[in-house]
Amino acid sequence: MSAMKSIRIVELGQGVAAPLATLRMHDLGAQVIKLEEATGDWLRHAEPQIAGLSMSAAFFELNRGKLSVKLSDKPETLKSQILHLLRDADVFVTDKNDAELKDMGLDEPEKTLLSLNPKLIFVQITPWGEHGPWKDKPGSELIAQAMAGYTRYLSREGSPACRLGADVAGAGSGIFAAQAILAALIARRRNHSQGQKISVSLLNSLLSMKSIHLAAQTNPDHYSGPRVGGANYPPEKGWMTKDEPIFFAFGGSVGAQGRPGWVKFIEEAGFHELLEDKRFDPIGRNSTGYGSRVQELKAEYERFFSRYSGEELVEMIRKYAGNAATYQSPAASIRHPQTTALEVVREVQSGDGQRHEVRAFPARFSKMKLQPTGVAPALGEHTQKVLVGFEESGSH
Amino acid sequence: MTSTPDINTHTPESSEAQPQGPLKGFKVLDVSIMAAGPWTGALLGMLGAEVIKVEPPDGDGTRWVEPTQNGMGTNFLCMNVNKKGITLDFKSPEGIEHAKALVAQSDIFIQNFRVGVIERLGLDYESVKKINPAIIYCAISGFGEVGPLSKAGCADYIMQAYSGFARTNGPPGETLEAFRFTGFLDLTTASVATEAVLAAVLEREITGEGQKVEVSMLEAAYEIQATRMAEILGAQECPSPLGSQSRGIVPDRAYPSLDKEIFVTAHNDEEWQRFCLALEVSHLSADPRFQTNALRVQHRQELDELLLPIFAKRPALWWLRTFERHRVPAGLAHQFETFRYHQQVTANEMIGQVHTKDWGTVSVGGLPWHFSHTPCQITPAPQPGEHTQTVLGSLKP
Repeated sequence: MSAMKSIRIVELGQGVAAPLATLRMHDLGAQVIKLEEATGDWLRHAEPQIAGLSMSAAFFELNRGKLSVKLSDKPETLKSQILHLLRDADVFVTDKNDAELKDMGLDEPEKTLLSLNPKLIFVQITPWGEHGPWKDKPGSELIAQAMAGYTRYLSREGSPACRLGADVAGAGSGIFAAQAILAALIARRRNHSQGQKISVSLLNSLLSMKSIHLAAQTNPDHYSGPRVGGANYPPEKGWMTKDEPIFFAFGGSVGAQGRPGWVKFIEEAGFHELLEDKRFDPIGRNSTGYGSRVQELKAEYERFFSRYSGEELVEMIRKYAGNAATYQSPAASIRHPQTTALEVVREVQSGDGQRHEVRAFPARFSKMKLQPTGVAPALGEHTQKVLVGFEESGSH
Repeated sequence: MTSTPDINTHTPESSEAQPQGPLKGFKVLDVSIMAAGPWTGALLGMLGAEVIKVEPPDGDGTRWVEPTQNGMGTNFLCMNVNKKGITLDFKSPEGIEHAKALVAQSDIFIQNFRVGVIERLGLDYESVKKINPAIIYCAISGFGEVGPLSKAGCADYIMQAYSGFARTNGPPGETLEAFRFTGFLDLTTASVATEAVLAAVLEREITGEGQKVEVSMLEAAYEIQATRMAEILGAQECPSPLGSQSRGIVPDRAYPSLDKEIFVTAHNDEEWQRFCLALEVSHLSADPRFQTNALRVQHRQELDELLLPIFAKRPALWWLRTFERHRVPAGLAHQFETFRYHQQVTANEMIGQVHTKDWGTVSVGGLPWHFSHTPCQITPAPQPGEHTQTVLGSLKP
């Protein structure tokens, strides 16, 4: 991508959010310098690890293609190293809050950094936001999910809480941070090279992505549907069939009438009793998918679904314009022929010729042909290379 | 700082306000419906682009999705903020001609029709780029535009099932639990689509060339599962439900306390040592079974057997204060009615309030980014067709 070729990004981040944002900038062609303190990004030490490499699989994916600089453990030198690298950088992404940056010698970081480099795009990703009593409080993926009310939509009241298995706060914030970088680069081109500070937070990201549920709970006309009552529904495990659970839905997306495929599906499957049952609406909208009568009628469907395998039902439902899928494992999903057709999984090669599977940028462009490159660096692997000239220039 | 969630607040009049933000001056034509496409348009609108939402005469289906507020689907109200609204009938030649005239003056085009439908309308990329070669054409689909499922319909719960998302949730030992928070993967898709569109816009700033951007719910679902997918590809390990625990680090879970659960995480050895100090179990940080994260993961159960009785002795608030003093990440679970008034949420404007003309005040997700020099804003969704006359009237004959 020609627009990103000359862009230099400095990342002082750990875990998921900041590394994911800069990974995607690397995929688009930017150079990414990852700054790490003495023990390195905590994600390096998470489980599971890649056999033969001293790093977690997640760290490898999120940091491939980056240059790793191990910062000095002497405070004055550390500060000088950061300022040295930011003087000519285009973008600085960090998950350090202001108090932590101050501890690193960067007092009033927005003012300090934008004075040093007025073109700088400074993206700060914190757990709880840049203002308020919690601005310097530590956080985590788990706590952000709980705080944003996400854990209410798994498990049930009175049972042990469950988290989402996916790191949605970290990844969601990483995506928003990537948007922020790109939007600020666009604005910088149009606004006389002006840089700026952008704040992103884990909690804010989860609440932004909760817009549907915030709106639904504002002042609803009726107690109806999962957006109002979903937190109090029993755990959702789809509809059981002869062999595996599926999820399915009829009902339209245009106008109030929807698609009429439900009746044809019911007829072909031989579930005629349901057509006579007044509890089922004529297009299957209320009794399938997120419909308001799903909880009441799930067992009725399952009585009939036991005649068919999950795959058979999915095929039949799709034939009549309904939506359906079996509940696949993530491993089965990423090896499914559909995923393969999209070329989601690619290979990168390390210096010793070892090949590693990674995921490509999650979109396709007709002109920009993006190919994942590079492997994840060892801690401080590129310190000397990146900081060449630092000692000589007397920057410290 | 405000004491109520009266933030990102706009009067009905201000829905006509000039867009602000880093994309000020860009024009978006959004013919998508439901959630994934519309929220892409909404995000671009929040970033300052002028967005025109096109609805069919029957209306976007979100108008009827439950619940409603004063008769209007709340999904419609929150997925279509920061837009002008017009009605066009794509079944009529006139409607298509109007759409093409709008294409000619747009920078970005968003559609999420099922694969095949857009070609019949003559609004596929090949047709659109003949009208406007510099346009960024964003096509959002469920499963992508190629492959055996390219024509299959999709929705949030379908993708939760298909992508493996639901198979990583639930109590330990269970096999799956879907997230009863409908629309999460739709909004994830919109978020990825916005990122991709912005990349294409930035490229156009240099080259002057438009291009097509294809985004699928499937790839977006993998992106939000980035770490779990990496574990499959890099360590050949398929994730499974672990309750509130994570596979990667220990401790990182909800512990039952005297009254309710306390959520706590120690990302690294330093936080682990402070965790032990907070619990007054300093000897555990020196215990050879627990000295590194790898060892704590290996001895997860033994560690919990030691920790659970300690947490059970005191209430969650005590542990919260204790962990705060020791700078260990900790928190409590919240719900709408408690977090909406939380000082941290209001101070950072994480929830927006929009005042609509006919449907009252609606809470929506706040701006996900806060720009210091190009500040953004949230404006209410339009009345369906509210701007049809003014927008079509401004088209060149």
